[in-house]
Amino acid sequence: MPPNVLIGEAMDTQAALQAIAEASSLEALQQLKAQYLGKNGLLTGEMKTLGQLAPQERRERGRVLNEIKQRLEQALAERSHTLEAQALEAQLEQESVDVSLPGYAFPSGGTHLISQMQAELLGIFRRMGFSVVEGPEVESEFFNFDALNIPPWHPARDMQDTFWLEGSSEFRIHAPGGQPTRDQGRLLLRTHTSPMQVRYMVEHTPPFKIVVPGRVFRYEQTDASHEAMFYQLEGLVVGEGITMADLKGAITELARGLFGSEARVRFQPTYFPFVEPGAQFGMWWAERERWLELGGSGMVHPNVFRAVDEYREQMGRPRAYETLTGWAFGFGIERLALLRYGIPDIRYFYQQNRLSFLRQFKP
Amino acid sequence: MRIVYSWLQEFLPDAPGPERLEELLAGLGHETETIEHLPAPDPKIVFARVLSVQEIPGLEVRRLLLDAGREVQVISGAPNARSGIGVALALPGAVLPSGQELSVRKIQGLESYGMALSPRELAVGEYAGGLLEFPEAALPPGTPLAEAWPEESVIEIEITPNRPDVLSVYGLARDLAALGLSLVHPEPRPKTTALALPFQVWIEDPKGCDRFTLSYARNLRNGPSPLRAQRRLYAAGMRPISAVVDATNYTMLELGNPLHAYDARFLGQGIVVRRARPEERLVTLDGVERSLDPRDLLITLKQGDQTLPEGIAGVMGGQHSEVRPDTTEVALEVAHFDPVSIRGTAKRQGLKTEASYRFERGVDPNGQVRAALRFLELVQQWTGAEVGEARIDLDHTQPPQPIAFWPSHTNRLIGVEFPADQQLGVLRRLGFEVVGQEPPYSVRPPSYRMDMGLEEDLIEEVARVLGYDQIPVTLPSFFPAPDNLGVDQPYQAKERLKAVLAGIGFQEVVNYSWSSPETLAKYRAPAPTVAFANPQASDRTHLRTALYPGLLQTLEFNLSQGEGGPFLLFELGNVFQREETTHLALLLCGESVPGRWQPGLGGGFYALKGLLENTAAHLGASLKVQKEPFAHLHPGISGAVYWNGHRVGSIGQLHPGIAAQVELPPTYLAELELPLPTLKSRFKDVAKFPAALRDLAVVVPEAVPYAELEALIRGSAGEALEGLEPFDVYRGAPLHPGEKSLAFHLSFRDPARTLTDTEVEGFMARVIQALEAAGYAIRK
Repeated sequence: MPPNVLIGEAMDTQAALQAIAEASSLEALQQLKAQYLGKNGLLTGEMKTLGQLAPQERRERGRVLNEIKQRLEQALAERSHTLEAQALEAQLEQESVDVSLPGYAFPSGGTHLISQMQAELLGIFRRMGFSVVEGPEVESEFFNFDALNIPPWHPARDMQDTFWLEGSSEFRIHAPGGQPTRDQGRLLLRTHTSPMQVRYMVEHTPPFKIVVPGRVFRYEQTDASHEAMFYQLEGLVVGEGITMADLKGAITELARGLFGSEARVRFQPTYFPFVEPGAQFGMWWAERERWLELGGSGMVHPNVFRAVDEYREQMGRPRAYETLTGWAFGFGIERLALLRYGIPDIRYFYQQNRLSFLRQFKP
Repeated sequence: MRIVYSWLQEFLPDAPGPERLEELLAGLGHETETIEHLPAPDPKIVFARVLSVQEIPGLEVRRLLLDAGREVQVISGAPNARSGIGVALALPGAVLPSGQELSVRKIQGLESYGMALSPRELAVGEYAGGLLEFPEAALPPGTPLAEAWPEESVIEIEITPNRPDVLSVYGLARDLAALGLSLVHPEPRPKTTALALPFQVWIEDPKGCDRFTLSYARNLRNGPSPLRAQRRLYAAGMRPISAVVDATNYTMLELGNPLHAYDARFLGQGIVVRRARPEERLVTLDGVERSLDPRDLLITLKQGDQTLPEGIAGVMGGQHSEVRPDTTEVALEVAHFDPVSIRGTAKRQGLKTEASYRFERGVDPNGQVRAALRFLELVQQWTGAEVGEARIDLDHTQPPQPIAFWPSHTNRLIGVEFPADQQLGVLRRLGFEVVGQEPPYSVRPPSYRMDMGLEEDLIEEVARVLGYDQIPVTLPSFFPAPDNLGVDQPYQAKERLKAVLAGIGFQEVVNYSWSSPETLAKYRAPAPTVAFANPQASDRTHLRTALYPGLLQTLEFNLSQGEGGPFLLFELGNVFQREETTHLALLLCGESVPGRWQPGLGGGFYALKGLLENTAAHLGASLKVQKEPFAHLHPGISGAVYWNGHRVGSIGQLHPGIAAQVELPPTYLAELELPLPTLKSRFKDVAKFPAALRDLAVVVPEAVPYAELEALIRGSAGEALEGLEPFDVYRGAPLHPGEKSLAFHLSFRDPARTLTDTEVEGFMARVIQALEAAGYAIRK
């Protein structure tokens, strides 16, 4: 501890230290700092007199004054910290909020349940190396029926009640390669996603694996379990040596993706004109202990390959399909969502679009 | 199709019970819809004979005296009650299928000691207009009906359109027999006499009718058919009429061939099968007078030089030669018609009958004689008819062509290893004729398998009989051909767009693809270009031309249901104008961040524009809006959207005129056409030297858009201009009315060094010079 040196009459080091320790505000502290250490401060004034002293005395007094200066600075800093901490504490006491009140209502947004279901299914197929493509909703009779081995007189046309369309002269349907190479027949809303099988094969070279999600339409009255518009997922694989066992494998993977590794799959013969042999497939729904008949599938019918190759030839492309094998499947997506979430009425999906319905589902 | 279990058992004596049968049928591709168990009638419902019917003056009911082992008097209003028929009599204490317990009761003041039952009352059929009628001596009077009508099961099966061969009891049994069950083949043998056939048949159109048989029986008594036959007809969903009519239906249900019986008195010289002539008309059995189309195939009766239309071939007969209760001689037609012709006629006439349903799918062209014999056998048993030996049989049918078959192809297509002899065994059990010692085998399908044409069809037969559960599980492994790579890019772009919109707060909705001209006009959307040929409802007549009307309707509906905001909606879907294109529509109504206990944030045009800019930023695109009017938008608050420099759609406030009409608060819309043009991201080094910041305010007339000043500044500032942000738009003193001041932050930076003040002042001078040259004042 340095001696309590009196510097002139006005400055008493002990008194200065005490004043700093007792300063009640940052402003008062600032004044004290100016009083002693400022440009015209007492200590600063004393320092200025050093030059008038003899070297020996100047060294001695300089050391003392520096020591005092350091002590004052330290005391000022300490007091300043204390006062700042006190001021902060006081401020924080004032600033308390009710954290239980909700924050700003930033909207969360979301996709439609059908988009979520679709994304989940496509994810399963993408992991198996499938590409996702889409086709038009307005189709021609040719792609929707004729090219799929369903000629006009075929009783199978009764299996799918159709919305027939009348396009005005300015409306143009998409045709593979730009221009239709043959009479397309009447316009309709596609009754299934299967016409995309033909469109895709006409424009691409085998082998490939594709899935086609999309809207399809049936001329049906809407009620709790029927919609005139719904979504299907179509799959098509064509290549050399593709077998029905491969089809079963892909459907089994789908079942596992949906229901877990214990999922079971059942194939039963059925009839779709564009496959031969044809199979409907079901999955064991362990939770409800019952089979869920999901959709139809089968080996691509040779007449479909022939229609594709004929179309390709008319477009000036080489025939590419008749010597190959392939399979296709298709199923409706809504029913999976209805069953999974226990939704009793399909009209919640498209007829209503109630936000309190849509916001319930997050992927 | 409804299959009566006991009937099926006649052909498959070893058939398993209905539940196991359901599994076997499913394995073969025949899906069971329901299995119905029909109980036997209550024991107090007995067979009785009508002894007499007595009119009661002044009343509509009549007094029936019945022999039910003892005499019973009942009061009945049934019009067909008459002596000489058998009826089902419910005695007091009997419980009817409806649950009603019968007691002695008074009908219009008269005691009735039982009740003679109609088909509806016995719950065997829909008919309630008269009594069930049985042959007089069907059972000893008083016998409980249950003895002849034991309990029964009915399996309802959905038959796919390719399998008309199983649209009969025998046909289904035949398919099941391929699984190894033993099959009883029908061999009907009526006792025939040497009766000459008093008619002739001429076929003018052998393509439309390639098989026609006509048989003859006489001296019959056309009363009710036997109890058991009636039970089966009812169970199969048909109403018994009379023995002759019932025998045609019974035979059709059993063997699959439609039959038509004529009252032979009215057949003239015989039958001519020909196409209809223009303007020809005909009254069919259902009493409807029909105008015929020249494509319709007719059964006509030859009378002299004329041929008079009598029936629509394969669809429905005519009234003139209809079998009646007093019919004593019948001619029976069992034929085969061109399925396509029948289908066309049935569609044109709006007539779907049991016969047309079968003919249009395909009837065995080789089963006519057997069906005729079965009918004659039944009619003989049921009515005592004398059956003629002679028969007309005009046959132009072709036998099915053989198909070359390699058992190895089955294994290659299905991915199995079924031995060849096992495969050929399946085909033989299904009735195929297999010729050859080694592949390719020549396999000729039976006449009833019209669905067989290709080797793949045979492969399915083998696979379905051996069982789809025998197919192993594998996965295809190959690399796709090069032109398939990247085909999913457009779909991925849509998924990404959806994810971004959902992430910044928009809720996706999915609306129907259709609308109506009225709705589209109401929202000032483009007029529709595609109409439904068969509209379902007045609001579903055309395809939509834009998405925003659907979004607005969704908003209106949600508001009407009291749904709370925020209303940030989007839809991504296809619209139909000159062609089918994909659109994205956005809607904002109210604030994007709604207030709770503090004020909300972000409403109005700049909120929606900001969200769209945010979307563009997420996707690495630039977004600009240029003023442009749109019919459905506020003329002062609307513009065209430029995405990476390409005009892709519109944004603005819903036109207040529309909003007022549909009572919506101010609502903001954007609609863009997809795909949105993309730019590849490129590397640009991060800033390593400080930026120099300057502010600038420009006074311009009100009509000058921000975009014009932005262009002037960017055009004049030089390459060092890095950022340009408007931070204030001011109107009012000291500016003149009609003026506004726009203030900008500008930031300059050089990638390689720190800019000097002098340099930056030089850039600013150039900017100021350009603005002043354009006639705008710089605000000091």
